[in-house]
Amino acid sequence: MSAAVTANATPPPPPASTVGYIGWLRKNLFSSWFNSIVTVVLALGLAWLAVNVVGWLIFTADWEVITSRVPLYLVGLYPAEEYWRPQVCVLLISALLGMSWRLWGSTARVFAVGLGAVIFVIAVLPHEMALFNRILLLLNPVTIGLGYVAAGPLGLRRPKRIVAVSISIVVVSMLLIQGIEGVPGLEPVNPQDIGGLMLNLLLALFGISMSMPIGIALALGRSSNLPVVKIACIGFIEIVRGVPLITLLFMSRHILPLTFPENIQVSGLYLAAITITLFSSAYMAENVRGGMAAVSPGQTEAARALGLRGWQTTLLITLPQGLQNIIPAIVGQFISLFKDTSLVFFIGMLDIVEMGRSALQDSSLAFIDNGREVYLFIAVVFWVFTFSMSYVSRRIERALGVGKR
Amino acid sequence: MTETNLMEESVDIPADKETILARPLEERDDIIICENVHKWFDDFCAVRDVSMRVKRGEVVVIFGPSGSGKSTFIRMINRLEEHQSGRIVIDGIEMTNDARNLDAIRREVGMVFQQFNLFPHMTVIGNITLAPQRVRHTPQREAEAMALRLLERVGIPEQANKYPAELSGGQQQRVAIARALAMRPQIMLFDEPTSALDPEMIKEVLDAMRELAATGMTMLCVTHEMGFAREVADRMAFFDEGALVELGTPEQIFNSPKEERTQMFLDQIL
Repeated sequence: MSAAVTANATPPPPPASTVGYIGWLRKNLFSSWFNSIVTVVLALGLAWLAVNVVGWLIFTADWEVITSRVPLYLVGLYPAEEYWRPQVCVLLISALLGMSWRLWGSTARVFAVGLGAVIFVIAVLPHEMALFNRILLLLNPVTIGLGYVAAGPLGLRRPKRIVAVSISIVVVSMLLIQGIEGVPGLEPVNPQDIGGLMLNLLLALFGISMSMPIGIALALGRSSNLPVVKIACIGFIEIVRGVPLITLLFMSRHILPLTFPENIQVSGLYLAAITITLFSSAYMAENVRGGMAAVSPGQTEAARALGLRGWQTTLLITLPQGLQNIIPAIVGQFISLFKDTSLVFFIGMLDIVEMGRSALQDSSLAFIDNGREVYLFIAVVFWVFTFSMSYVSRRIERALGVGKR
Repeated sequence: MTETNLMEESVDIPADKETILARPLEERDDIIICENVHKWFDDFCAVRDVSMRVKRGEVVVIFGPSGSGKSTFIRMINRLEEHQSGRIVIDGIEMTNDARNLDAIRREVGMVFQQFNLFPHMTVIGNITLAPQRVRHTPQREAEAMALRLLERVGIPEQANKYPAELSGGQQQRVAIARALAMRPQIMLFDEPTSALDPEMIKEVLDAMRELAATGMTMLCVTHEMGFAREVADRMAFFDEGALVELGTPEQIFNSPKEERTQMFLDQIL
């Protein structure tokens, strides 16, 4: 009993030299004379670099190459009189973010506020844009608020409704941007004109939402007992994984049309979307298979002992746990898919990178020396999106408690 | 209140409990019949020529050295392992490759594993209600009410909404027992249910099993808990090298085993 009492007493504090900033510095940066020298040299080098970079960013860099062409980076050659369509899509996304903010808390709030801020900056920056379009952009913060308010009454706590609302917003967005034949005010836009960041995002969104179910289906098919299904899935996966994406894109452009009827022209947009999706789903299939293989065989035995059928065991026990195992791999796949969308310029689509290049090669030669600004800007745009994805994945992992076990 | 009582009786305890326990063992029917059962893993004969009959409501403890085929044997009772020759009949249903027979048998037989094998992505109550809802098509509310009563029976009703990882080993194993009982099985198989547990948690699991035996459940338990066997088992089966070496009442096995191998093994573990 007395031992327990001693254990409850406040333990003595650690020696002062090992805690706090001083302790940290001593332990990590100045633990020996050699490390101290390395620390000082590296610190000087970093400071020199920082001074140069910041100096360039503030004094030398000329951001006109970005600010004067904002719509081109965002939507490419999309006709200016139809800008309202993608803008309405952004409004829908704002509403969705507002709803998520209400339901999901801090994680979604970061994105809602971030999107609102970026759009506000775009709306007030001095570049050529009609007043009407600026007003549409400025409506975004309002829609975020509306979504936040509407989330409760819409009963969006149920997963099924969340999925339904998200899917309908995606479908409506794609229809809006593409246009619908015969609907006044919604004349179809030439798919070749869909470009800029909007093109990267559309391809990524389509690829991500389609490659996931296709990948799961391929993974299940690969472990199927039916030889035909199994061989077909293995064949598809191994062939697609064995060929570079660029080659597949070229093939989709030059070989696939040979199989179409002569008078049908399929736009590069659709070819690119399908190619990227199939390419990504082959990798996704292998991720899923790996994740399911990592689920302990005891899980299947328990499910079978309880009388669950084979497909029930897969859908209810193995698959959910398998997917949970591979969240980091899935998000890695999404990130690489998003970055790969910049390859579509090989088949004549004008994504954000290509819009940057065309700015540098503008016939006025005004921006011929602005390569640094352009590529730095594009790099930051890509980084913001990919970093957001990995941030969300970490939040989901934590919410699902992966790694706690 | 009356309604709950009615349901409790019909759901948790076999309806013919009274009649089962009232009749002496010899007069009950055989719920498990194994005749000349063999099982090979490649060339290795894991179970050889085992014949055994288990009466309704009987508790049989199976013990023996590791690798003696005792786990493989009970895993054949619900077809987690396929027997390759011989005959197995569970409650009148012949064990064949026919999927309908197999489904019927798995509904009759519940199983508890050494490693618990709870589904980590579902709450405790989700684990228990899954099979009744998906296999027996029990409405969710009814399944949940039954799950709560089962959790009460194994002594952990307050853990219903936790995830398995949040529970101790003993609590997880009791959830596993409740999960198997939720399918209202006629037979319960226990495959070394206390071997993965810390010593202080073994008792709570054995208590749940003891209570279950008292309700007239037919139980096959692979275990080395000899105190439990002496107290609860109707018969004990000693396995060695894949064969059923000796089968008898605990008194006979402990006090006057017929086989030398049984005696040697008991000397080693007692």
